[in-house]
Amino acid sequence: MTKDTSTAQARSRRQIRQQLETAYDFDPRDPMFGLHRHDLSGPQLERRTVLRLLAAAGALSATHLVSDLGARPAQAAAGGTLHAGWSGVGEFRTLDPAQINQVLLFQIASNVMSGLTHIDPQLVAQGDLAVDWQANDDGTEYVFNLREGVTFHNGDAFTADDVIFTYQRSKDPEKSIHGRVIANIADIEKLGDHKIRITLSAPQASLLVKTLERSSGRAMTIVSRGGIEQLGDQQYGLTPVGSGPFRVTEHQLGQSMTLERFEDYYDPDRPKLDKVVIQPVIDPEPLAAAIEAGDIQIIGGNPIAPELTDRFEANGDLTVDIVPAPGFQSVFMNPHREPFKVSDFNKPLEELMQEPGFKVRLAIAKAIDRDLYIKQAQFGRGEPAYGTINPAMGFYFDEALGEASNQSFDLEEAKRLLAEGGYPDGEGFPKIKIIHTPSTRRDCQVIKAMLKRNLNIDIELDTKDFPVLIDEFDRMDWDLTRLGSGGDFDPDDGLVDWMQTASKFNGRERDKSVLAFGFFSDEEVDRMIAEQSVTSDPKARRELVQQANRLTSDKVASAFLFHPADILVYRKSVNFPAESRIPGLVDLDRVTLS
Amino acid sequence: MTGYLIRRFAGALAVMWAVATLVFFMLRAVPGDPLAAMLFDVGDPAAADAIRTKFGLDQPLWVQYAKWFWLVLQGDLGQSIYGSRLDVSRIVLEALPRTLSLTGLAFLIAVVIAVPAGLISAVRKHSLLDHSVTFVAFLGLSMPDFWLGILLIILFAANLQWLPAIGYAPLSEGFWPWLSHLIMPAIAVGTPFAAIIARMIRSSMLEVLKTDYLDVARAKGLRKWAIIIEHALPNALIPVVTVMGIAIALLMASAVVVESVFAIKGLGRVLIEGILNRDYPVVQGVILVISAIFVFANLVVDLLYTVIDPRIRYD
Repeated sequence: MTKDTSTAQARSRRQIRQQLETAYDFDPRDPMFGLHRHDLSGPQLERRTVLRLLAAAGALSATHLVSDLGARPAQAAAGGTLHAGWSGVGEFRTLDPAQINQVLLFQIASNVMSGLTHIDPQLVAQGDLAVDWQANDDGTEYVFNLREGVTFHNGDAFTADDVIFTYQRSKDPEKSIHGRVIANIADIEKLGDHKIRITLSAPQASLLVKTLERSSGRAMTIVSRGGIEQLGDQQYGLTPVGSGPFRVTEHQLGQSMTLERFEDYYDPDRPKLDKVVIQPVIDPEPLAAAIEAGDIQIIGGNPIAPELTDRFEANGDLTVDIVPAPGFQSVFMNPHREPFKVSDFNKPLEELMQEPGFKVRLAIAKAIDRDLYIKQAQFGRGEPAYGTINPAMGFYFDEALGEASNQSFDLEEAKRLLAEGGYPDGEGFPKIKIIHTPSTRRDCQVIKAMLKRNLNIDIELDTKDFPVLIDEFDRMDWDLTRLGSGGDFDPDDGLVDWMQTASKFNGRERDKSVLAFGFFSDEEVDRMIAEQSVTSDPKARRELVQQANRLTSDKVASAFLFHPADILVYRKSVNFPAESRIPGLVDLDRVTLS
Repeated sequence: MTGYLIRRFAGALAVMWAVATLVFFMLRAVPGDPLAAMLFDVGDPAAADAIRTKFGLDQPLWVQYAKWFWLVLQGDLGQSIYGSRLDVSRIVLEALPRTLSLTGLAFLIAVVIAVPAGLISAVRKHSLLDHSVTFVAFLGLSMPDFWLGILLIILFAANLQWLPAIGYAPLSEGFWPWLSHLIMPAIAVGTPFAAIIARMIRSSMLEVLKTDYLDVARAKGLRKWAIIIEHALPNALIPVVTVMGIAIALLMASAVVVESVFAIKGLGRVLIEGILNRDYPVVQGVILVISAIFVFANLVVDLLYTVIDPRIRYD
């Protein structure tokens, strides 16, 4: 060991010790004690607050305390062209936030457009075009100070009028598909050229992380009035004008999109790269060959085929960076059909446990060995799921749920429940189908084999195109459905969108005169979800989120399968800093090339 | 001849109309609502209703058909339901040169391989060369084009790194960028096609080589290759050209898969994505264009007969 190296290590150890000492200025047994609402106001959460949140979630480690530990130091100067391949997509049909309906599209838009806020790797909202903000006591009014000196790519200056224009455009169903996201915003008022007030109909805990967020929010991703007037809606969708770190300079539909560094970006230190060329690549094998050959240097877009991860990890030229992805995957069971029939989920759990239909639901959920499933179907990547709240949410994630849930793997119990449900050793179990898309065929085969082996029941695989699957799912015309969610950055994405009686995915096109509810309905869950949505105190909100999540798990709203892994693959020549490693996104503004 | 051309042209238009009409109604008979899939994540009935009204999807089927057909007659293929509602004609015009480049080059490769291979195996019947050509032809025919494409990518892009693995460069960026992106997909598409033509030329040539007039030519002392190229080959070409006409459709079908492998956004991929998304206007527009290519390619083949064999006349 050289003298220089040992000196550096000693310095590093000293630094870690000092940071640990100053970081733990709170009682580790109750890290949330003494944390007030103003601590959670913007422009960003203090480091101390974030550490407390992480500690409260049991996720605090030395890597969070020492900012550069674990992150690859940027070894390269700015400049250069990054070639990216976007996985599982044939074209970028629109980058107009008002029309974006896929994660892989807002991954790109996040590099081109700005929002009032933007989440960081811990999924905490940071100011983007908002410098700071103040909420009133009941959380129904927010006053935002906007960043001054910001310009759009066409040279127009950004002002409060652009926020109001974006809001009005997103409210119009003729122009935007995201009106629902801002339904709770009663008004946006201009208080000055760079000051606005947002009034909410009811308090909303997810406002900063979900509604005003620049990437996944979309409804309030700030668009350029001048750009839209100049280009028209069609062309704006192909080459949008934003105020983000990169500007779109060329778009050959279905072939490639070229982003170039925006010289007048509000942060003079970003972006680092001169140019980014993004190609959509629909098939996994050519995508793999392209990154192995160096034709592309990073993969974004849809999750890569799970079988490629081992191959990439074995390749010395590639970095495979895995973090929890914000989402969950499930097998839904239709409670209106035999053998899963449940007439009323509102009954206390003890009563439900006496019903044959519920016993069968629970038997299936308990017979799925999630660790084995993840090994076989996802090549070992992902985390077992017992609810919609995912580990990427950190603070809100319930680590103990795996042990505590009614759905925890227990084969003997599952067999007993199935027998009590009327199907001892699977005997007489009706013929049922699981509908799924082509991309989930293999993991449905794993589920089928597992249920056959563990419970001796047969399920038939029924592959559907996505539009057909959604059509049937919405109408509740299915026995089992293999479906899930991605881009869930806030508890509302899992709970409000999926687990309430009125959730948008919960049998929305069913015949309501026949079916009183969709795949799940529980008044207690509804109440807790509604309450957590308006609770601004994070600790109180977390309590409600975890209780609601646990109840959906115990009452088997679905057989939760796994939380996917977010796998980012790039060549060693790419320096992707930890502060840009936001699960589900591919922010390139801090990325450099060696 | 003019009368024949007019009749054929009218027939071609009628075929295109029939295809387009069939596709229009069949698409709507297929289960799956385009808006349900597109707005699944959004879950906003107001947004769905606005789009449904804008595209007239809430109107009776015959009204939708009449409106669409009226627009098509005026050269307007409508707008995509997805994304920023791009004009279908724009989507088609962006994709068409890529498909034409790919199928054109694949056709060229197929002919360049097939003609000498077919001739040699006919002339050297039952020789080692003939058996080798036959073996290679069957190999080419049996190999799935997408698999061949992946093998080419692994060899020439991933390992040797001679050619780009994926993508497309328009001719405006230069001949080599264009060719380097297309050569592997064109080989993948063209190889099975080459095998078909080579076998066709072989059997057709074997027929012609038995005819009396070639004995006369030999008796006159003409050189062997002059007999084969100048006298035998033109007569052997009639069935081959017919197969080529049909094979243009096969080439386009083959390109659908290979375009996906090489990430080339041609008509095939536009069509597949349109079908998967139930993007009705896009599917209808692309089918119309593809049927036009197919119908007129066959018309050209029919007219080519008169060039190859002057005895054929259309009155």
